[in-house]
Amino acid sequence: MAMRDYAADKEAIRNFFVDFCQTDDEGHKVFKYAEQLTKVAEREQTSFVVDLDDLFETNEDLANAVKQNTRRYTNMLSDVVYEMLPDYKHKEVVAKDALDVYIEHRIMLEARNHRIPGEMRDPRNRYPPELIRRFEVYFKDVSTAKSVPIREVKAEHIGKLVTVRGIVTRCTDVKPLLVVATYSCSACGAETYQPVRGLQFTPPPVCTADECRLNKTSGQLYLQTRGSRFQKFQELKIQEHSDQVPVGHIPRQLSVYCRGETTRRAQPGDHVAVTGVFLPMLSTGFWQIVQGLLSDTYLEAHVVTCLNQSDENEMAEALTEEELAELADEDLYSRMAQSLAPEIYGHEDVKKALLLLLVGGVDKRPNGMKIRGNINICLMGDPGVAKSQLLNYINRLAPRSQYTTGRGSSGVGLTAAVLKDPFTGEMMLEGGALVLADQGVCCIDEFDKMAENDRTAIHEVMEQQTISIAKAGIMTCLNARVSILAAANPAYGRYNPKRTIEQNIQLPAALLSRFDLLWLLQDKPNRDKDLELAKHIAYVHQHSAQPPTRQRALPMRLVRRYVALTKRKQPVVPHALADYLVSSYVELRREARNARDVTFTSARNLLAILRLSTALARLRLSDVVEKEDVSEAIRLVEMSKQSLQHVEDNVQRGISATDRIFAIVRDLAGSNKTVKIADVIERCVDKGFKPDQVDACIEEYENLNVWQVNQVRTKITFM
Amino acid sequence: MLDFTVDFDSVSPDLWISKEETCKEKLLKLSNWSQIPLLNTNASHKFSDGKLVRFRGMVQDMHNPEFYFEKFEVFNTTTNEVKIKSGKYCDTAHILENEKINYTENLKSAQRQAMVVVSLPGLSDWAQQIEEDQNYLKHLDQQPNSSKRLSSNANTKLKRSYDETENDSEVMDIADADHLNKEQRTAEVMDNGKNVVSREHLLNFPLPDVPSKSCIVKVYDESENLKINDMIEVVGFLSVDPILSGEFQPEKNSFLEPEGDTDVEIITHNPPPSLVPRLHAVYVKKLDHCNPLVANFDQAAVLKEANSAREHLLKALTELLLGDQLAAEYLICHLIACVYLRQDTLALGQFCLNLSNLPTKKYPNYAKQLYDIIKQFVTKSYYLPLTIENLNTMALLPKKDYECNRLTSGILQLSKHTHLILDETKMEQGRLDSTGVSNLTALGNMITTQKVEYDFKYYKMEFDSDIPVLLLSEGKSLLPSDYHVPLRPEESSLEIFDAIVEAATYYLKEEIMNTIRKYLTNLKLVKYTISEDLQFVEDDFIEMRSQSDAENPVTADDLHRLLVLARLVSLSRGYDTLNKECWDITRKMECERLNRIKNRVAPTF
Repeated sequence: MAMRDYAADKEAIRNFFVDFCQTDDEGHKVFKYAEQLTKVAEREQTSFVVDLDDLFETNEDLANAVKQNTRRYTNMLSDVVYEMLPDYKHKEVVAKDALDVYIEHRIMLEARNHRIPGEMRDPRNRYPPELIRRFEVYFKDVSTAKSVPIREVKAEHIGKLVTVRGIVTRCTDVKPLLVVATYSCSACGAETYQPVRGLQFTPPPVCTADECRLNKTSGQLYLQTRGSRFQKFQELKIQEHSDQVPVGHIPRQLSVYCRGETTRRAQPGDHVAVTGVFLPMLSTGFWQIVQGLLSDTYLEAHVVTCLNQSDENEMAEALTEEELAELADEDLYSRMAQSLAPEIYGHEDVKKALLLLLVGGVDKRPNGMKIRGNINICLMGDPGVAKSQLLNYINRLAPRSQYTTGRGSSGVGLTAAVLKDPFTGEMMLEGGALVLADQGVCCIDEFDKMAENDRTAIHEVMEQQTISIAKAGIMTCLNARVSILAAANPAYGRYNPKRTIEQNIQLPAALLSRFDLLWLLQDKPNRDKDLELAKHIAYVHQHSAQPPTRQRALPMRLVRRYVALTKRKQPVVPHALADYLVSSYVELRREARNARDVTFTSARNLLAILRLSTALARLRLSDVVEKEDVSEAIRLVEMSKQSLQHVEDNVQRGISATDRIFAIVRDLAGSNKTVKIADVIERCVDKGFKPDQVDACIEEYENLNVWQVNQVRTKITFM
Repeated sequence: MLDFTVDFDSVSPDLWISKEETCKEKLLKLSNWSQIPLLNTNASHKFSDGKLVRFRGMVQDMHNPEFYFEKFEVFNTTTNEVKIKSGKYCDTAHILENEKINYTENLKSAQRQAMVVVSLPGLSDWAQQIEEDQNYLKHLDQQPNSSKRLSSNANTKLKRSYDETENDSEVMDIADADHLNKEQRTAEVMDNGKNVVSREHLLNFPLPDVPSKSCIVKVYDESENLKINDMIEVVGFLSVDPILSGEFQPEKNSFLEPEGDTDVEIITHNPPPSLVPRLHAVYVKKLDHCNPLVANFDQAAVLKEANSAREHLLKALTELLLGDQLAAEYLICHLIACVYLRQDTLALGQFCLNLSNLPTKKYPNYAKQLYDIIKQFVTKSYYLPLTIENLNTMALLPKKDYECNRLTSGILQLSKHTHLILDETKMEQGRLDSTGVSNLTALGNMITTQKVEYDFKYYKMEFDSDIPVLLLSEGKSLLPSDYHVPLRPEESSLEIFDAIVEAATYYLKEEIMNTIRKYLTNLKLVKYTISEDLQFVEDDFIEMRSQSDAENPVTADDLHRLLVLARLVSLSRGYDTLNKECWDITRKMECERLNRIKNRVAPTF
C-alpha cells in the first residue's frame, strides 16, 4: 500500500473543520465543527467529537483512511485542532483549575525567556503538547457501520476503529492516570516534562536541563503533582451478548480502556456499544519476560453508549440479503405464525393470534382519551393441550416479557409493592411483573387460580394500561403498557359446554370481555388430523428432519427482529374502510343477539377488530390498513368464538333452553332463596325466550325437586 | 530426518514448526499411537518441558484468545547476531541471557485459543484401569527425571530481570517439593498466595470428591470448532515451566496500573504448571466415546453380536431388579439411549427412566447397590443421592465467576453419554431453600429438554446436553420422566437379594462384562434408519387416538415416545431398522407399563 500523503490529509481535515456545515430544520446553516472549536477554545467543552458520517460525506477516502489507522489520525486531528484553536477563541477564558494557571505561567515564562528569535531551545524542555492541550479528540463511527462481534475482533483489527456491543461485566473505579509528568530539579530548578503514553513509566534518573548538564551536578528530580497532567481512567470488561455466541461456546470478553470523557459511562450489567481502537499492549518488566511471547489487547474507547431496550431494537442490524429473501416469501403471515413454537403441531389460528399479540396494534390518543393498542389473549383448554408451552415460547420470543403463574403471584406481585428501604427507612416502590413487562408481554399461566382480589388489579391494566397505587402515602400511577397472555384451565377439569364461559373459567365477565380474543384449545380425536400428525412424527423420526412439505420454521431471532421492525410502523385506518368496519360490527352484534351467544359482543369487540387489523397492517410493514386486514381480523374473532361454540356440536345436544333459563333463575336468585316468577319471566323474555319455555322449565325443575313454587305460582323457592 | 515412529522425545516445537505438514501427516499415520505418553495416567512431572504428550478430557472452559508472537527477532548483544524465533507451541521465550527480543519490528502476531480441559468426569473405574494398563509407561519411573528436567531447563532458562537469586532458589524448592509431594505443593499455594486459592479451585472439576486432572490446552487451529463439554484427545507439546505460575507475579504498582485483572484472576488463569500443565496442541481429535475396549467400530459385527450380549445383560438385570423382566428391558433401553436429533426445542432420543417402587424398606441401600452394578457396565456415570442437604448445598449448574473470570463448574456440566443416577429414595421431608428449588428446576429442565442453563450472571445461556438420567424412587418421582416403570418384584427374589447380588457378581465375569460394555457403547454409534413404509405405526396411532379420553389422553408426545422406544428395542436386538415385530414388542411393553401405572398399589415392601 502506498504511503498516504499525511500533509495533504492534514490540510483536508483543516478545510473540513472550517467548511463543514449542515442545514438545520429552520434552514439555518450550522457550522458544526466550527462551533465545537469555539466551545473547546473557550474551555466549555473538553471532548471534540468528529462524526465519521460527516467526514464520509465530504471525503470518503479520508474517512476510510481514518478508520484504518485511527491512532495516527487522532494525533493528527489534535494537532490540527490545537493549531486552529487560537482563531476560534472569541473571549478571554477564566482559568478553571490549578493546571490552567500553571500552564499560563509557563507560557508567559517561555515568551519572556525566548524573546530573541532564532535562539536554540532544548527540545526536551519545550512543553509537550499533551500538557497544554485540554481537549480530547474522539471519532464517532459511521452510523451504517455494523458492530463487530467481540469474537471476531482479531489481529487484523489492530489499529482500526471498531464498534462492539456487549454487557459490562466489570468496571474499575475511575482513577487519575498520569499523562504528562512534570519534574523539577533540586539543583537547578529547571522543569522536565515526560509524556507518559503507556500505563507505566520510568522516571528519568537525572536532570537533563542545560544547567545541570554543563555543571555536571546531576540534580535529583522531584515529581510535581500540581504541574503534571492527569486524565480520568477507567477499565471496563465487556462480554459478548448471548445472541452473539455460537452454540456450545463460552462468551468472550474484551478489555476497554476509557479515558477522559469516556469514563463513567457504564455500570456492570449495562448493555453498551463501544466504538474504539483495537490496540495491542506489551506487558513490561518482569511479567514481560515471563509471558514475553504474549501481548494483551484492549480497546481504546472513543465512544461508549449505554443501550437501553429500545435503542437495542433500533440497533438491530438491518436484515441481511438472505434474511430478506427468506422473508420475501409469499405468505409471510402464516409462515411466521407457523414459526411460533414449531414443535406444537396445528393450532394455526391461535398462533396467528399470538403473532399479532407480539406485533401489537396501534395506540390511539384522541382528545386525551387513551385507547390501548396492545392485544390481550386468553387461552383456555383442557389440561395437556400445550397452553403452557405456547406461553413459554412467547415468553422466550418476546424481547421484553414476564412469566408468572396465577397462583404464584399476588396482586402486589403483579402490580407494585411498597417496601421500606432497610438502610434509609424510606418507602419505595418496587415494580411487579406487570410493571416490569411494560411495553412487552406478560404471560400469566393458570389465570383462573388467581385469588379474586388479586385479579382486580388486572382490570385497570388491561384497559387503561396503567397501575394506580395509593399505598403507604405513596400515590402514583405507573405505566403498564402490556399485552396480557393468559392461560386458564376450565373450572372442573374439563370444559363443560353446558355452561357459559364465566362458569367454566370462573372469571367475571368484566375481565373476560377485556380479552380481545378467547381461544379454547381442544384436543379431539379426528381420523384425518391424527393420520397427518402420525405421518408428521414418523417423518421426523425417519429422516431426522421436519417434513419438506411444511415450510421450514423461521429462526427465532429472525422473527424477533422482524417483529421489532414492524413496531416502527403506525398504520392508520382510512376513511373508506370505516363503513366496512361499522357494517361488519353491526352484523356481529346482530348475529350475537340471534344466536345463542356464549361470549360477549360489545363495543370492545369493535376495538379488538381495529387492533387486530392495525397489527396485521404492521405485519405487512404497511402504513395503511386494508380491507383484507379487517376481514382477517374479523375472521380471527369469529374463529375464536367458534372455538368456544364448536364444543357443542361435538357433544351432540347443545344447552337446552331449559338449562339456560335455569341458569338465569339461579343468577337472579343470587344469594336469596326466593325469586319472583314475574321477574324471571321478564328477564327471560329479555333474553329471547318464550314464556311457555319458562313455564316448562319451572315445572321441570319443580319435578326434580330443585325448587318449590308457591300455590299462587308467584314465587320460586330453592330447596 | 527423525524417525517419528520410534522416538517422540526428539520432537521439539522448533522441529515441528519447520516441517509442520509432514510431521502432522506422520503423526496421523502413527501405528503406535498409544506410545505417545498419556498424561491422564502418567504424572506430568515425569516429562520434560517441550515433550510431545497426549491428554484425554472434556472441554470445561474457554478463555479469551491469546495473542502471541508467531515470529520475532532476537538480538544477541554479545555476538550481534539476529535470529528469527517463533513463539508457537511454547509459553516462554527460550532466549539466552545476552539476547534481547526486538519488540518494535518484524513481529508477527497470531491468535491461539486457550481452553481448560479436565479429565472426563464420571469415568468408571474399570475404564480408567484399562486405560492405565494400556498407557502406563513403566520406563518413566526409573528415570531420575527431576534432575533431567531441571537441567534441561537450566540452559534454556531465561533471564529473570529482578531479584533473580532469591527467586531462583524458591523456584527450585517448589519444583522439587512438587516432585515429591503434590499435597505439600498445595499447601505452598495457600501460604504463598496473597489470596487463598485451593487446589480444588484451580482444578475446577465438575464432580466433587472425584480425583481429576486438568490441563490448559492451547489450540492453534481455529477450524477445530471445539465446543464446551466436548470429549477430546489432544496431542501436544507439554509446557511445565514453573515460572508460568501466577503466584510469581511481581507486586503491581497500584498507582498506575489498571486493576482490571485481580490477583485471584491471575492465579486462576495461571495455575502452577505442576498442577495444571499447559499443552500446546498440534492435533485435536474429537471423541465419540471413551470406551477403551472399543477401538474400531464395525456396524455389521456389532449388530450380529448384539443379541447374545443382550441376553447376558437381560439376565443379570432381571435378577437384580428382583425378577422384573419388563423393568430390565426398559433399563437396557435406557442404557443405550442417546439424543440423536435436536430441532429447536425438540430433543429426540432422550430416555429418562424412572424406576419406582423400590424395596427400600427391606433394603435401604438398594438404589446404591443397583448403581454399583450399573457403573460396571457404563463408561461414565455419576450417582447423586437427592437428599435435602445435597440439593440445598450442591452447585449443579455451572456459573460464571467474574471475580476469577472463569466458568466455575457444576455437577451438570457433564460430557455426553454420562449416566446420571438420581437416588430419590434418600430424600426425606424437609425444607428446600432457594438453591434447592433452583437445583430441582435445573434437573427437571435437563430431563425434559436435555439442555442445561449456565449462569452468566447478566444472562443465562442454554447448552445442549446428552445425559441419560435414571431416577430411582419409592413412589413416582417428583422430577419429570419420560418412562415411569413401577417395579414389581417377585416375592421369592425379594427374600434373597443379597445372594442375588453375589451371584450376579460371580456370573458377570470379566469376559461377559467386556462384551456388555462393548455392546452398550457400540449401540450408541449404530446408524439407525426407519423404512418409508410405516403404515402399521400410523394405523396404531389412529386407533390409540380414538380410544383416548380425558383420563388417558393420547397426544403427539406419546407417539414420539413410542418411536423412540421402538428404536431402542430394535437396536438392542441388533436391528438397524424398524420392523413390525419390534414395533409390536414396543407396543406391548408400553401397554404393560401403562397398566402397571394405572393399577399401582401402595408399596408393600
